[in-house]
Amino acid sequence: MTPKNIMEYSYYPGCSLHASAGEYDLSTRELFKLLKIRLTEVPDWFCCGATPAHNVDELLSLSLCAKNLELAGKVEGDLAVACAACFSRLKTTQHVLGENDVKRAQVEKAIDAPVTLDGKVKHLLEILAKDLGLDRLAAAVKKPLSGLKVACYYGCLLTRPTDVPNLDCTEAPTIMERVIESVGAETVAWTHRLECCGANFTISRPGVVIQLTNAILESAKAAGADCIMVGCPLCHGNLDIRQKEIEGVYNTSYGLPVFYLTQLVGLSVGLGADKLGLDAMMVNPMPLLKEKGLL
Amino acid sequence: MKKKKMVISQETMDVDFVRKVEALSGTSVRRCFQCGKCSAGCPMATFMEHPPNRVVRLLQLGQWQRILEGRSIWYCASCETCTTRCPNKVDLTSIMDALRKLSWDGHGPSKESYVQLANKLFLQNIRTYGRQYEMRLAAVFNVKSGQFLKDLMLGPKLLAKGKLKMFHSKNKNMSEIEKIFARIEEMRAKGEAL
Repeated sequence: MTPKNIMEYSYYPGCSLHASAGEYDLSTRELFKLLKIRLTEVPDWFCCGATPAHNVDELLSLSLCAKNLELAGKVEGDLAVACAACFSRLKTTQHVLGENDVKRAQVEKAIDAPVTLDGKVKHLLEILAKDLGLDRLAAAVKKPLSGLKVACYYGCLLTRPTDVPNLDCTEAPTIMERVIESVGAETVAWTHRLECCGANFTISRPGVVIQLTNAILESAKAAGADCIMVGCPLCHGNLDIRQKEIEGVYNTSYGLPVFYLTQLVGLSVGLGADKLGLDAMMVNPMPLLKEKGLL
Repeated sequence: MKKKKMVISQETMDVDFVRKVEALSGTSVRRCFQCGKCSAGCPMATFMEHPPNRVVRLLQLGQWQRILEGRSIWYCASCETCTTRCPNKVDLTSIMDALRKLSWDGHGPSKESYVQLANKLFLQNIRTYGRQYEMRLAAVFNVKSGQFLKDLMLGPKLLAKGKLKMFHSKNKNMSEIEKIFARIEEMRAKGEAL
């Protein structure tokens, strides 16, 4: 806490939040403003390289992230990251460069600057659950999400591998459930919350994504969930944008709205649909929210 | 197709290649004792001809050609489940990265041109624009891979939801990004990095 009673963070939205996941960016900014958490976007940040860069060129991936970390270091506060993939790459870079001197020397040569690893990188979940704290989050609630059954979907990169993101336990995390329960929602126990959705194969191998994502939707539905909550724009793209197509392929109906965590938490603290970008969701959440008396 | 019989001998075992994989991935394939936990948890194993544990076994035997000839490495989704669960701290995700890099560098033909094409376009976008515009990436991928109709029906819906952004804001760090790409190329040309 700064003396002004305002929490300060630098903010790395990542490419998706400026393109297909605009509602995640919007709801994050609105929610954090309301919670008196100041986000300052890192000026002229660039792509972290995501999965494709480390897939074929680890040195490039580490260098892009190291440069972004250097840019972030010029802005006050720990670095707040919304996207699970950016979060994973930035944390992996800190981890690898901290342990491997050869790679560190190569990266320093590539970015022509010393690597600094002392800045903290935090996912939004971490900021809400740990820095702000669940008690204070609960105190900000105006409209508890009572009766809403949420399936919290972690996917891959928020928690894995061990010792890198350090967000929560790798095999039995609870941070998403704790956050959303603290604003009044119910959570369901389900089997596929840590399974992979196929991620960026959505472009090169959509058939794979359809198969994996179907299993996730099926599991959430079977557990009695009303909706799914995610903290990653790629998971969101696969679960939300492809949901109708998947229903067609498997001749079934899920109708599960897929919310970003900031949208659901935002609802509970009284933000309106226009400030949460609910109209950008492909699976329309309005009937569900009206039924539960949340809109 | 008749399977080639595997012959293990000094002539067929390429240890130098395996050392490169180990240097790139920062992990030792010798630590693996074939418990199979990686393959048991792998969401993509069903699509692979060599599941993750067998990829490591083939590396232990110096038989990398068999891996690069197949599609296994291009079906790995980098979900990190294998690395997380390995009892011997074999970082399989990084081994897959190293194998893809060496394959990318021309060490062998690959059956998975689609995944390679998507990766290539992704990296080109970073070098040209500094940031990624997924829908542009998808559109160019469709054109280059000749799948003009793939996901065509999604286009208008995404446009209506404001998710299609084809225009690029100018990034002030573009020259810095170009320098990073160029320096890495230079380091590799001089043999200072793999």
